[in-house]
Order: sequence, then C-alpha cells, then structure tokens
Amino acid sequence: MNQNTVQIEFTINGKKVTTNIPSHVTALHVIREIMGLKGSKEGCGIGECGACTIQVDDKAVNSCLMLGAQLHNRDVMTIEGLSKEKKLHPLQEKFIENHAVQCGFCTPGLLMSTHAFLKENENPDRQEITRAIAGNLCRCTGYQQIITSIEAALQDESCRGGE
Amino acid sequence: MNMNYVRPRDLAEAFAFLAENGRDTTIIAGGTDVMVDLRSGELDTRFLLDISRLDELKGIRLEGENLVVGATTTLSDIYHSELLTQYAPALQKSAYNFASTQIRNVATIGGNVAHCSPCGDTVPPLVIHETKVVFSGKKGERRIPIEEVATGPYRCFLEKDEIITAFILKPVEADFADFQKIGRRKDLAISRLSMAVMVDRDSDGIISSMKFSLGACTPTPHRMTAVEEFMTGKKVTCELLFEGGKLLAEKMIEITGRRPSIIYKEPAVQGLFVRMLYPVV
Repeated sequence: MNQNTVQIEFTINGKKVTTNIPSHVTALHVIREIMGLKGSKEGCGIGECGACTIQVDDKAVNSCLMLGAQLHNRDVMTIEGLSKEKKLHPLQEKFIENHAVQCGFCTPGLLMSTHAFLKENENPDRQEITRAIAGNLCRCTGYQQIITSIEAALQDESCRGGE
Repeated sequence: MNMNYVRPRDLAEAFAFLAENGRDTTIIAGGTDVMVDLRSGELDTRFLLDISRLDELKGIRLEGENLVVGATTTLSDIYHSELLTQYAPALQKSAYNFASTQIRNVATIGGNVAHCSPCGDTVPPLVIHETKVVFSGKKGERRIPIEEVATGPYRCFLEKDEIITAFILKPVEADFADFQKIGRRKDLAISRLSMAVMVDRDSDGIISSMKFSLGACTPTPHRMTAVEEFMTGKKVTCELLFEGGKLLAEKMIEITGRRPSIIYKEPAVQGLFVRMLYPVV
C-alpha cells in the first residue's frame, strides 16, 4: 500500500526533532507512537474529553484534532516536559496533595490545560478556573478536588513556571 | 490511506494548487471539524491543503467603513479582540462559550462558516452585521452575503477552486448586543437554538433600530426581519418581549414546518428571546 509521508521538524519538550510521518496521522499519534511519549492519552478521539491535551506554542490544544503534519516548526510541550530532573512540577504536587488524581487518565491533559491557563491568568476566580478546564472531562473526582488544587497552585508562584 | 498533505507558502500558491487539484482537495485550517470527519472515514480526500499558516488570512482590522475579520482568525483571537468588543460584541460573545479552550485556540471563523453546520455559532452574529464573505481563487474574488453561503446543511456555496479569505462586517456600536444559545450542556455543546441581536434606542427608550438573527433551529441562518419590524418604534416592556418571542416562534415554524421537536422549540425560542432582551427593559 502506498503510504504518503511528510517530513516535519519541531521542538518537543525542548528537544529539536526531524522526522518522517504518515501524512494522515494525528499529532497525538506522532507523540505516542512515533516519539514514544505515552503520557498524553486518547479518550474520545474527537475533541470532547481533553485527555490528549498538549501545548503548542504555549496554547492548550487537543492533539487528537491536530494533524501531525501541522506540528511542523511548532514548539510542543507534553506532560513529559512538565517535570524537570525526575522531580515533579509543583503543579503536579498540588494535584497529589489535594487528591485531584484518582484513575489518572485525565490528569496529563488537565495538567497541560491548567499549566497553559496559569501562564496567562494572574488571579482567576473559581468560575474562571472551571471554564478553563471545561474541555477536560474527569469521570472520577467530580472536579472539586481539581479546582481546589488549581486554587492552591495560585498561592504558589513556582506553579506558574517550568518548561 | 492515500492522502497527501500540502502546505502552500502563500495565498497565490494555494490558489494555483486549487485551480489544478480543487476537486480532490479538502482545505484544513484549525482541523477541529476536518479531523473528526477524517477519523470517522466520512472524509476521504487525495489532498489536504493546510491554510492555517497563511499570514494573509489572519487578523481583525478596520478598513475604511468596514470591519474585516481574516478567515483563519481563531475563536480565541475573536474572544480577545478589543476591536470586536467595540464594533461587534455579539460575535465576540459567540466565541465565549464556543466548544472548549483547546478547540477555541485552533478553530477558525472561516472553518465554522465553511462547514455550513446549521449550528455554527459565529453565523447569527455575522448575519446581524450584514457580513459579506470573500470567496477568492485564481480567477479573482467575489463577495457573497453570509446568508447565502450555506445552500443547505453542510453544503457550501464555495466552488472547489475557492477559499474563504475574509469576512467584511458593518461595524456597529449598538446600545445593546448579545448572543445566546441553548445546548444540551453548558460547555462543548452543539447549539440547539442560537440567536444574535443588536438594539439601538432613542432617548425615550423606544427601539430605533434592531437586527436579529436566528441560528441552529433552521437549516440555514435567517435574519428575522418580521421580528425586527415588529419591535422597532416600540418601547420595550415585558409584554412586548413575549409578543416578539411569539412572533419569532411563528416565523421559525413557517421555515421549518411543525417537526416533532417543535413542542420543545416553540416555547424555548420564545423564552430565549425574552431572556436575551430582558436587560433592555
């Protein structure tokens, strides 16, 4: 079978890569199957659950709805890029401290959405936080613990930074 | 899957490609609709032409008497635009509850319109601003009124060798403007009903002009001139809103016929109309 490919060059978690990918695959496929980074999850595959959320040029996007080829020349961050030197990012610590993780399937996507949100918002209220993570479904927690974690993160300047 | 990805360097290259391969090509920008159709197998195309990087298609600006919104302007950019706060607040409001943050960050206004879903949230606001949609190709450009872009649900007036490049709106600083929708839930909801309105009042509180458009519950978007005319020249009271809403529901039924969902939609359309315009009372 003739499979068309396209060459892409992009930065993933601070590392520059050049690779050939099939032209029809999603960005999520590139990240999981070609880059081997399994933190980003596929839940629904149609942009409703947010489990596949990554950051592209600092903005949260659904990687299942992005064509892999569209990653060309972009700066991509996945959950693997959040923590440094085998230490958890302070935002991850807040999620653990406040019991925002149960089965964990939604967590990488939620952390990506939250991290992007905190970069742009200095002092959001609970309603704004709820809206920011509206594109991330969690079937375990009922969201309260997640929102509380994000509120806790707001008190901690170190939660905003990181690559 | 035998599909090729094509990324033109500029608009001229995109036009040339479409002139040659338009029939076998699907245009992709944000991809939030295209990728869903690709995944389901509904879309099978030889070429995907990626116009998301073309600078010529981006941005919101005033050009003389017109407010121009580039076709690949994202819903996030629409939501954050100060120009739109001033000159097209209903359009801005339609971006507020549009899908989710992740989708707003990439989804484009051009894609929302070109997809021709009856539920496209940006369409009713574009209708009240009497928007002309710029269709461009190698042969030149033509300007189509927004209401004629969809010839039916998911059917677009666009020729195979054309791209939507921009939206030309009449900028209006109205006394009151709003967009409202009803979906099955609050976020990521596909609109069951949507509506956009602009109202100007004179010093006695009498409506001097009104523009109103209904979306989602009719196959293509409709400006509701009968409702506009009924409301204009009157002082806004609660009774007037209920009467206007009743007329709106009647006009909707004239277009759609009495479908099973009408038991819900008739009172819902009236209720949403009253709720939206209540701040004017």
